[in-house]
Amino acid sequence: MPAFSLVRFTAKGLSRRPIRTTLTIIGLAALILTYVSVQSLVSTLEMNVSGSVSSLGGEIDVWSKGTSFPLFSRVPMSYANTVQSIPGVNLAAPVALAQMTVDNNQAVIAGVVPSELPRMLTYTMVAGTMISSNQSGILAIGKALAATVGKTSGQTLLLDGYNYSIAGVYQTNAWIDYSLIIPHSVAQQLIGWVNQTSMIVVTTQDPRNVDTIIGQIRTLLPTTDAFRTSEAPSKISPIFASLEAIATDITIIVSLSAVLGIMNSNLNNLRERMRTFAIFKATGASSSQIIRLVLYESLLIGILATLLGLGISYVVLNLVSVPVAETINVAIILVPSTFIYATILAISVSLAAAIYPALRIARVRPQEVFRFG
Amino acid sequence: MDDNVILRTEGLSKAYGNGPKKTIALDNVSLQIARRKLLAVHGPSGSGKTTLLFLLGGLDKPTSGRIYFEGIEVSIMSERRLSKLRRNSFGFVFQNYNLVDELTVLENVMLTMMFEGKPDAERKDRAEELLRRVGIAGKERRRPSQLSAGEQQRVAVARAVANRPELVLMDEPTGNLDQENSQQLMRLVADMVQGEGATCVIATHNLDIVSEAPSKIFLKSGRIVSD
Repeated sequence: MPAFSLVRFTAKGLSRRPIRTTLTIIGLAALILTYVSVQSLVSTLEMNVSGSVSSLGGEIDVWSKGTSFPLFSRVPMSYANTVQSIPGVNLAAPVALAQMTVDNNQAVIAGVVPSELPRMLTYTMVAGTMISSNQSGILAIGKALAATVGKTSGQTLLLDGYNYSIAGVYQTNAWIDYSLIIPHSVAQQLIGWVNQTSMIVVTTQDPRNVDTIIGQIRTLLPTTDAFRTSEAPSKISPIFASLEAIATDITIIVSLSAVLGIMNSNLNNLRERMRTFAIFKATGASSSQIIRLVLYESLLIGILATLLGLGISYVVLNLVSVPVAETINVAIILVPSTFIYATILAISVSLAAAIYPALRIARVRPQEVFRFG
Repeated sequence: MDDNVILRTEGLSKAYGNGPKKTIALDNVSLQIARRKLLAVHGPSGSGKTTLLFLLGGLDKPTSGRIYFEGIEVSIMSERRLSKLRRNSFGFVFQNYNLVDELTVLENVMLTMMFEGKPDAERKDRAEELLRRVGIAGKERRRPSQLSAGEQQRVAVARAVANRPELVLMDEPTGNLDQENSQQLMRLVADMVQGEGATCVIATHNLDIVSEAPSKIFLKSGRIVSD
């Protein structure tokens, strides 16, 4: 029997049981929403926390040994020169990070060497210009923070009690949009550091040499910890490192619950339709055709639930934001791969929940159903 | 093998349960069914008529004995071959119609042809033609429950002959019908089933059908008492 006929037949059958079909679709869509929400939340946190470091550019970060957060790291400025001298290193830029009061808000400020900025950070200017000299009293502000404090280029704001002029408003679509950039030397003065910086951001001439260069930094500077920028989130917090594992556990538990719930619903549904399947068998349907009927039915439900679930997830997650720091909320980042995995998950759950009921209903004995109901 | 015999059984028995609860529904039944003829199987309730029909139609397996359809042993066939046989060579009409109420009348008649894999247009044309012949034209989109008992049984007859089967098995087809509808149905059976060249086996209590049948067997306690 052509699969298309069977699918169309199945679709008609589903449309004639609208309440059950709708409830199953909603249940499965809820699973997708849960999955997409949890995964997107993890991705958002990961990208933003990672972004606090990686959005400053570079492939390698150098922090002081044993530090769990870049704000607490402190390394001598001279280390930047040491790293710069390693063959294959393109740029070793010191970055000073500190949390300060910006007008009445708390925000992380980044002190960078202005001449190194274009090689470190990819940004666009929304208004005004980026800082280009070590001149004190000027800064560039991220678009999100500018919106929070209600300021734009040409205006002034209070940074740690001092008046600063806003040279421009930049946008990176990363965490640093909730921050502001000042010259590194000015940041040192504000923090009270002499010849010290928070971290060193390193770019290489050939990304294939990253591991070799990391090894050399660790040898040359034993009091520091050098690692790939992408490893920053797991270094920042042991809890963060296990966040993905927790998300996976939640997904497994919710998926198993969904499989069992939908399987139970399928069994009840098929039990109620036992006579229908007995008639199918008596009129010549083979066991494999009946199995295919049930599986196509689940596949269709899975596809419809996926469309609904992804649609709801997209709308809902675009409306919410999560706090990543005090007074700083960021929009949920929707990663396309999460949507692809959600689709695979929903259809897998739908089919897995149908296999056992399909095998059971395929064994229906028409003579018994017709005799005993 | 007699070419005129479409189906025969040898020592066919069917028992349900075990030990003291064992019930013998059919006991050592041997018969031959002539091609393109109508065989009436009658007898009191519980005599084994329905069991015999289910065995002949491959819906159930005998406890012992053999069934041959067109000289091929049916009783040892795999489930896959049996379903093909039910699809292509057998048609069933049941006392309580056994139409699928979640499908329309037209879809019910198309069902067997769909399982056979016939193209959409072909099965629709055939189903519409059959429904016209059984007098259900214009009610194709209705659900079976929206039809009268007589109409539902006529739809069941149309479904049974849709794939042009060689053998149509009818279990008390007039059991739920009044006399007028019963007569109408039997005329239809004569016209459609035999008219399509099929052999017909009817299990019935209806003595009018029995008296008009060219061949008949009487079952009592699972045994053939007379033929």
